[in-house]
Amino acid sequence: MEEATVNVDSQEHPEEASIEKHSTMWKTSGRIVTYFLLFALLGLLAWGLAKVQRGQVHSGEAPNFTLKDFNGNALTLSDLRGQVIIINFWASWCPPCREEAAYLEQTWEKYKDRGVVFIGVDYVDTEKEALAYINEFKVTYFNGPDIGTRISQAYNIQGVPETFYVAKNGQLRGVKVGPLQSPELDLKIEELLAETYP
Amino acid sequence: MLANIGLVILFIAFLLSLFATLSSVYGGVKNKNAWVESARNASLLVFPLLSFSIIVLLYSLYVMDFSLAYVYDVSSTAMSPFLRLTALWGGQQGSVLFWAWIMSAFVMIVLLRKWEENRALMPYVITTSMLTTTFFIAVVVFITNPFSKLWYIPGAEDLIKTVFQPVGAVQYFPVDGRGLNPLLRHFGMIGHPPTTYIGFTGFVIPFSFAIAALVTGKSGEDGWIRTTRRWTLLAWIFLSIGLVLGGRWAYDVLGWGGFWGWDPVENAMFMPWLTGTAFLHSVMMTEKRGMLKKWNMILIILTYALTIFGTFITRTGIISSVHAFSKSALGPAFFAFIGITFVSSLTLLFTRWDTLKSEHQLESFTSREAVFVLQNMLFLAIAFAVFWGTVFPLISELITGSKITVGPPYFKKVTGPLFFALILLMGVAPFSSWRKQSLAKVKKVLLTPFLISLGATAVWGYVHRTHPFSIFGLWLVSFVFFAIITEFWRGIRVRMASRGENPLIALFKLFRRNQRRYGGYIIHLGVIMIALGVIGDTYFKQETQGTLKVGEALKIGAYSLRFDGLQGFPGSDGRDIVEAKTMLYKNDQFIRELTPRRDFFVVQQQPVTVAGVYSSLNVDVYTMLVGWETQPTQSVTLKIYVNSLINWVWTGGMVLILGILIAVCPSKKSKRRVTYVMKSNPLYFESFLGD
Repeated sequence: MEEATVNVDSQEHPEEASIEKHSTMWKTSGRIVTYFLLFALLGLLAWGLAKVQRGQVHSGEAPNFTLKDFNGNALTLSDLRGQVIIINFWASWCPPCREEAAYLEQTWEKYKDRGVVFIGVDYVDTEKEALAYINEFKVTYFNGPDIGTRISQAYNIQGVPETFYVAKNGQLRGVKVGPLQSPELDLKIEELLAETYP
Repeated sequence: MLANIGLVILFIAFLLSLFATLSSVYGGVKNKNAWVESARNASLLVFPLLSFSIIVLLYSLYVMDFSLAYVYDVSSTAMSPFLRLTALWGGQQGSVLFWAWIMSAFVMIVLLRKWEENRALMPYVITTSMLTTTFFIAVVVFITNPFSKLWYIPGAEDLIKTVFQPVGAVQYFPVDGRGLNPLLRHFGMIGHPPTTYIGFTGFVIPFSFAIAALVTGKSGEDGWIRTTRRWTLLAWIFLSIGLVLGGRWAYDVLGWGGFWGWDPVENAMFMPWLTGTAFLHSVMMTEKRGMLKKWNMILIILTYALTIFGTFITRTGIISSVHAFSKSALGPAFFAFIGITFVSSLTLLFTRWDTLKSEHQLESFTSREAVFVLQNMLFLAIAFAVFWGTVFPLISELITGSKITVGPPYFKKVTGPLFFALILLMGVAPFSSWRKQSLAKVKKVLLTPFLISLGATAVWGYVHRTHPFSIFGLWLVSFVFFAIITEFWRGIRVRMASRGENPLIALFKLFRRNQRRYGGYIIHLGVIMIALGVIGDTYFKQETQGTLKVGEALKIGAYSLRFDGLQGFPGSDGRDIVEAKTMLYKNDQFIRELTPRRDFFVVQQQPVTVAGVYSSLNVDVYTMLVGWETQPTQSVTLKIYVNSLINWVWTGGMVLILGILIAVCPSKKSKRRVTYVMKSNPLYFESFLGD
């Protein structure tokens, strides 16, 4: 609603008719611009509302994607059938992400040889800061930037951090919104590992 | 049974508020007094009726009547009675009812107090405020009803939550509830949410007066703006308290070592605070000089619009936020509500634009008027920057198809210089005078504080050579601090000279005589202290993280933290606690034991981090238990923040609130003057403001 500040006090005490005419023109165009901006804002909110009401994709087949890590190695989700997959959306600028980073890495170390894949999807970030973050927390699992936010949009994430759980058969088994904390990820992985896959 | 009565009463409240809205419009337009009186009586009844519903809900929470879906969702047998009662606003349904209830209280107070004084405005004050109240009650009744019950259809997976029995369903009586979100199980729950709600809802009153003034064409007169100022001040006080408490709560509970993250939910609260603050300053121009009427009208409408905009974005989650509000069905209805409110107020404003004529023009660019205008521009610029950063992800996603979130660096970079200018102005502005200004005089007065602040900055700059940018911040803070002290000293000296009072008496009398003005300075001092805390947070924050075995220590700056062992035990409210015992040393000197811990809420399967904090005036050492292993040997991963100067934020917050109390606390003198002056001319404010 900041738009309402347009053309404030632009013509008080008009002294001459020409000025008055001129100022009326200004006034009218100011009003049109203000209305335009207001309706633009409302349109934006309506669009956002429609999008959010759909919510995160949290069941059914996990949307497929190919992610390149910071060195250019690619990974495709559909190639990983038979393994439990943890997709974590994060960003270096996000404080709660920092909170869960150590726990994520610790859990990855614990499960990496047991048929579990962790995928870090770096959401809206700069490479330099993202790499500094990865260094800081000594993150060793697969991590890459979500170029053009394609993956974030496919999963319709509402923020970071969000973590999606994918079962061995490629089906989504829920999403955690907000930072993971010990031992919830362990519990979820154990649950998904216990499932049988042909 | 009782819940059913609560439900019926709620529905009656809805009908009455709807009636009040319609009746007041009819009475206002047709000039039929009986209808307006009737609207007033109906409005007055809404508060007691909603109070009854609130009491029923509180009682249901207290006795744990889990047959109600709301009670089942937000309370459990493991929760203490205190937490169960605060759960009234712990979930969507209860909080919207609570919201409507506070709003109806505000309306009732206005209608009881100001009836005769603002008689001409009243029909439309009722219309505007009761239309809003009706909307919120309607949301409670039809969309998120706290008196919904739980139903079970044999064979179905999920329970159904509705007020009336669905076909083929049987009522379900759980033995225990799911319990309040663990993050909300905190003592802060008694403070931050209610004060924030009071602040937010309170702005409906100034907004209603502004709309009524526009509708009746009386917006050029002065009466309404005085009333509006008082109500804005009241809402603003609660919003300020809510902000401070919210920051403190985030620091204690969210466990990332900070108090402000530029999250959309925080911004939603900050924006109306900024525009409200701008209004409280610029309204003095209208009171004293009859200027800026259009501007003030815009600010009132904008502030109210921002409160409902903020409520909308946080409650619908359309802008990603780390705060988890449950997704709800109230989105479309709320959208319609804000759409109608925004468009109709703007249209009304444009239609009545010419009734808002200024009585004076700006005479000099160094006058107090000009300083006020500049200050208002800065507030608005900050509010706009925050607004832009908040909605930007949505805009970028719509236009480019990819979401770009700006994050705290944007907010810091953009608002930092604006805050710098604003705080500087805060130091200089009190020395400016109305109409015209001698610059030389101001320079002379400000020379001393300027020189002292340079000295202080030189010392600080030498000690903290590694952080050159912090020097600017400190110079600013010390300069404005000494400028305010100078202002106090000037007042004291005059009294000492003219009345022969001793300095303490003079200071006391100064406050008594000019509560509003000197309360304002105390508020400014509070802001300075908060600024000092922000400087510490920006430039001197240190953090480190490491994994330790028993006996090992993690070093950060002058501090080291030794890990001595883990222990687990069951806690209250149904949680299992794992606690790390650690010893904090500074320069090898033992300070105290810190016990960062992790509480795991068994029923909710949700962990909560509880930091171990050592707090002193200058520095907080904030430790968190990030993770642990017990095999093969005990080890923990700890995170440590060293937060310098952070306590100034809380101290400053308290000083700010103290200043507000001084400024608004009615004194004998001001009461007498109000009764005497109300029918007189606006000049009275000259003396009240104590120029």
